[in-house]
Amino acid sequence: MSSLRNAVKRKTHKERSQPAARARLGLLEKKKDYVLRARDFHKKEDAIKVLKTKAAYRNPDEFYFGMEKQRTKDGVHQARGDESNKYTAEELRLMKTQDVKYVGLKASMEAKKAEKLRATLHLVGADGLAEEDESDDEMTRGGGAGDDDDAASAETKELDPRLKKRLEKKRRVAYQLLKERESRAAKLKMMTSEMAYQKEVQSARGHKRKIKREKDEEDALPGLAHLKKAPAQFKWKRKRLK
Amino acid sequence: MKGGAKVVVEKHRHEGIFVARGKEDALVTKNLVVGESVYGEKRISVDEEDGTKTEYRVWNPFRSKVAAGILGGLDNVHIKPGTKLLYLGAAAGTTVSHCSDVVGPTGCVYAVEFSHRPGRDLVNMAKKRTNVIPIIEDARHPMRYRMLVGMVDTIFADVAQPDQARIVALNAQYFLKTGGNFIISIKANCIDSTVPAEAVFAREVKKLQQEQFKPAEQLTLEPYERDHAIVTGSYRVGKKKSKD
Repeated sequence: MSSLRNAVKRKTHKERSQPAARARLGLLEKKKDYVLRARDFHKKEDAIKVLKTKAAYRNPDEFYFGMEKQRTKDGVHQARGDESNKYTAEELRLMKTQDVKYVGLKASMEAKKAEKLRATLHLVGADGLAEEDESDDEMTRGGGAGDDDDAASAETKELDPRLKKRLEKKRRVAYQLLKERESRAAKLKMMTSEMAYQKEVQSARGHKRKIKREKDEEDALPGLAHLKKAPAQFKWKRKRLK
Repeated sequence: MKGGAKVVVEKHRHEGIFVARGKEDALVTKNLVVGESVYGEKRISVDEEDGTKTEYRVWNPFRSKVAAGILGGLDNVHIKPGTKLLYLGAAAGTTVSHCSDVVGPTGCVYAVEFSHRPGRDLVNMAKKRTNVIPIIEDARHPMRYRMLVGMVDTIFADVAQPDQARIVALNAQYFLKTGGNFIISIKANCIDSTVPAEAVFAREVKKLQQEQFKPAEQLTLEPYERDHAIVTGSYRVGKKKSKD
């Protein structure tokens, strides 16, 4: 029965609006508007109350050394400069470009040095020097190649065993150095491409949409798995350029 | 260690080729033109017992396929002192200079290169080495340089062309003596990049066999070059065919 009554179209009540004579007072406030306003007011009131109690109960002897550096301006406390907005977007873009270029430069330097070293280290004979596997993840080893190979003279026959041992050690060190250089060059190259990619994506104009998430690749260099990720792929909305 | 780095130079299994052992671990050849580097490679001078100095040049296997083949363990390189060598695809003459070191003053290297720009470097190198004869000509037309080249003992080819086998066969018909040898460097990518490298190598070897070549060994240049193989063997040996 009630459902039938609901089906019958009834008179629609219009909401009362502000009379024209009182239009200068703005929109006519309703209950739901009042509720919002009151809730906001009480929130602020509570906050003020909390601050007032805190001020009342404060310890006048409280001291931190940081306080000595704090300043006020017209009675308002000046917060320390926010570092995150120190540079403009334009400046940040320029800095990133320079970073990419610098890392690229270092990568090519490292590759060149490795190539130079490789020119005299040919894995002659199967004495397994090159196959020795030592962990060499550190990137920080000083790049002193130590070029002291000017006058390379020698006797061909009857080497004394001490000299032979020394030579062998030198050779081993040279191979180790080559290995380090090569891995460093590879890492730097990878970093360069990653940074260049990020810069491209960041500075590209227009509306873009991610079509593929970044993904881990299986054969990552040790300690550099985050760089070996296949980068995310984006698609830009086509836009007519005059 | 005082007195600079010491280097010991030993003879390699192959005649005319040496190995420097010291801080360096390198393949070297005896420098024919003492005091000159051809392409900025390192030189090593060694005092002999009789007080004379011998200079060696480092032969980089990452730049030369012959060196890579030697270090890879080829049984026979067919380039030794006194060899007359026809070198197809000489490029700027880096490997040619080492070959000229190996064959020495009694041998001879005919270096054929088609492009002019590397050819210029080749000619400049040959000016200082009397046993190198540079030929700036297309190796597909041996007719054009037949007046310059005599009979040779060995042909080396590094032409990286799809019809490499045909080019080598043509040159062999003109210049290679019966029972002579050949060394061919095959770059799989240059011949057919759609099939696996091994298949390309096998196909090339078959082509060579049809042209009266008798391949003896095949070697991939793995640590030094990717998808490269070097094939050596001999030409017109054993029973003579009735035709030709």
